[in-house]
Amino acid sequence: MSTILLTVLLIVIMFALLASGLWVALSLLGVGMVGMVFFTDAPTGQIMATTIWGASNSWALAALPLFIWMGEILFRSRLSEELFSGLAPWMTRLPGRLMHVNIIGCGIFAAVSGSSAATAATIGKMSIPELNKRGYAERMIIGTLAGSGTLGLLIPPSIILIVYGVATEESIARLFVAGVLPGIMLVVFFMGYVGIWSLLNPTQVPRERSDLGLMQKIYSARNLIPVVLLIAGVIGSIYVGIASPTDAAAIGVAIALLLSWVSGTLSWKTFVEGLMGATRTSCMIAMILAGAAFLTVAMGFTGIPRLLAEWIGSLGLTPYELLAALTVFFVVLGCFLDGISVVVLTVAVILPLVEQAGIDLIWFGIYIVIVVEMSQITPPVGFNLFVLQALTGKNILYVARAALPFFLLLVLAVVMVVAFPEIVTFLPSQLDAS
Amino acid sequence: MRTFLDALYRLSGAFAALCLIAICTIVLLQVGANLIDAVAAAVTGTAIGLVIPSYAEFAGFFLAAASFFALAYTLRTGGHIRVTLFIQKMTGLPRRIVEIWCTGTGAAMAGYLAYYLVLLVVESWEYNDLSTGMVAIPIWIPQLPMALGVIVLTISLTDEFLRVLRGLPPSYEGLESGEG
Amino acid sequence: ASWDMPTPYPDNNFHTMNIKEFAEDVAKATDGALEIRVHSGGSLFKHPEIKNAVRSGQVPIGEFLLSRLSNENAVFQVDSVPFLATSYADGRRLWAASREKIEALLEKQNMMVLFAVPWPPQGLYANKPIEALDDLKGVKFRAYNTATERLAQLAGAVPTQVEAADVPQAFATGQVQAMITSPSTGANSKAWDFLDHYYQTAAWLPKNVVVVNTRTFRKLDEATRQAVLDAAARAEERGWAASEAETNAKEAELKDNGIKVSPPNAALAGSLSDIGKSMVAEWKETAGADGAAILAKYENK
Ligand code: NA
Ligand code: NA
Repeated sequence: MSTILLTVLLIVIMFALLASGLWVALSLLGVGMVGMVFFTDAPTGQIMATTIWGASNSWALAALPLFIWMGEILFRSRLSEELFSGLAPWMTRLPGRLMHVNIIGCGIFAAVSGSSAATAATIGKMSIPELNKRGYAERMIIGTLAGSGTLGLLIPPSIILIVYGVATEESIARLFVAGVLPGIMLVVFFMGYVGIWSLLNPTQVPRERSDLGLMQKIYSARNLIPVVLLIAGVIGSIYVGIASPTDAAAIGVAIALLLSWVSGTLSWKTFVEGLMGATRTSCMIAMILAGAAFLTVAMGFTGIPRLLAEWIGSLGLTPYELLAALTVFFVVLGCFLDGISVVVLTVAVILPLVEQAGIDLIWFGIYIVIVVEMSQITPPVGFNLFVLQALTGKNILYVARAALPFFLLLVLAVVMVVAFPEIVTFLPSQLDAS
Repeated sequence: MRTFLDALYRLSGAFAALCLIAICTIVLLQVGANLIDAVAAAVTGTAIGLVIPSYAEFAGFFLAAASFFALAYTLRTGGHIRVTLFIQKMTGLPRRIVEIWCTGTGAAMAGYLAYYLVLLVVESWEYNDLSTGMVAIPIWIPQLPMALGVIVLTISLTDEFLRVLRGLPPSYEGLESGEG
Repeated sequence: ASWDMPTPYPDNNFHTMNIKEFAEDVAKATDGALEIRVHSGGSLFKHPEIKNAVRSGQVPIGEFLLSRLSNENAVFQVDSVPFLATSYADGRRLWAASREKIEALLEKQNMMVLFAVPWPPQGLYANKPIEALDDLKGVKFRAYNTATERLAQLAGAVPTQVEAADVPQAFATGQVQAMITSPSTGANSKAWDFLDHYYQTAAWLPKNVVVVNTRTFRKLDEATRQAVLDAAARAEERGWAASEAETNAKEAELKDNGIKVSPPNAALAGSLSDIGKSMVAEWKETAGADGAAILAKYENK
């Protein structure tokens, strides 16, 4: 059977399984099984067991449930209200008002979280109930979260940049630094879009009290002290050298417990609810990652990703054409696989093409993260979509539609870093100078 | 039987939660050790070198145990994500067929996986495979929770399958966050 | 036939390049009857899974770092005992002395060794000058297994656990101040971003092995088997030469980027060698009769 035909067949099966209501993790496993049983001689069951074990006992992944747990604790504390009462007075004059809290909140939280799903989940847990209560347009609430959640992968620390750095032997410290400016640029894009949208749809943005003077604003900002303590504790522990990024997640849990104890919201009931919520969510994500890991290996055995990449390589494209083609390729692949799988699957094959085209590998790492971020918000397989589906109870198509404008802003970000590569390379080049 | 199964799902969920606490605790112990070292270095000039051996490896093992022990509990409470777009409007017989398909296929796949996970544990045990870090842990020990978790998942999916066959709603119905 | 081959390191790594050449060699020698598809960079199986995947026949062939198996049997650790073999010539003799025992141990796990290629010798990286052993006293030293932990203790340093991915950050924040690793790993992780000193201590030369599942191999016809073995022998020779070239290239790269590259001075070298003697003695204890036999063969030049 030709590779193209096989690819199309597997995509159809994937759609069918997902549409039939089969759980996502099992759908990924199922497509992998079909690919392996019918198109390779390799022992499917054993490989499934090995892969799932390998994908599940990961130190880098251990930060994920901890950050989710931290979010669950904060969700049951008074922190969400405090975040709003602290930020709200500063946002009321901006067109779009408190919707900016999602973006700034995600941007700040991304600085302690290495994963985009955890970022969307934590901020979303805090902000969705508040924004709903205040009457903001639900589509924009979901959209801003879906978009800004992806900052978790771009603003350091970042799980995916670690994966890329390991795969390409590029400096992870350098990659981290390179992500900062593009991350800030995206924050600006998102806030700009929310502002413009709000000016065009003034009726859909509820009024906020905006009569506070400067002193009152500063006074209300005291509500931000707990959040600031939390972030300072997490980043500070890394900065003074007593914790790695994963360690810092545990510190986040400890500080969150402490804060909710001090504020009087910690009880046995809220503790157990938070813990069980984190257990459920991290189980769900870990199983999808395990399913994706098996699908990745299955694809590796069928040789599909390699052949597709080789086919792209055979076209003899200019660097810009190559990047355009790769972007389409990654977006299509990202519709079905999670971001880390996309990187792991393709980097080995695509990197020679990229180096041959004279593209800087640090730059390419950031480019690939932005493109992969898009895959977090494209259906049917998009982690931020799943997280927001779980948080809001809306179906995935609704969530995906809400995320579409932010997907387009990510496309714009790609265009910007292609046109102005200095956005990426400026900060790392300062490392050399020092 | 009903009471026993419900207790089984709850118990394995509780184990999962304990594993999550274990990850957090072991990491905090190492951070605490680092903190003591940093203070000691500032006061006496030399750090003590307090180490929780293989703590990263242990955290990874607890993560696997947490993820797999939680499977059945997460299923019953509607925590596993699925695309509800096409099935959410269905009611009556069509919906029942969908749930029979989902739980039946799910039970078969989970059973298949459980079988091979047990084989994996047995192989690790037979060859006495050890972890590679500072502490040599027989790998079958952290692998066992994974196999047990998927076995409990197989049981619970079979349980759900029999429920929907009998015309009862699946126990996750109405709890799924995806239903909107 | 066509074999899927998982390897842990990326495409531009000299081990991977050597393996790809090996695969081409086999294809050429067998007229395409045996095609080896190299899946580099952990893109098929991750490093921790590769050995067991080959053992149980999930893939016919694979590559992994031999001393990963140290906990299973101390004999696998022989090439990572500090200051036992400190040059390529020593490394070759040690491989010759230990190959038989290692092959026998892997044979019990249904695997056959095709070839082994060393990493460049392990050097000492530090963020301050190390003139004597005293300069390592109280220094936070990266430890990632029992051997490196023991080495740090014997040197009076403070063993600190840092995962490979966290190394740059750990140096930047002072969580670690020194580590021992190859010039390749140092250059590939751009060590000049976070430290200034590299000492060519040549502490040990750890090896990657390429193994094949014994049953799968036996199923090949006689001519193909011979072609694989011949290509493996050539790959081993090529790999050792490539490793030496890699050492020079990567040390030059460290130097070009502002790291002070130098041999350890006599005092430091002497102290390290003493530490090596006690670690060899300790290793001999744990490695039992097999270990003693390997050492006897190795020392009997
Ligand atoms: Na981040
Ligand atoms: Na997607």
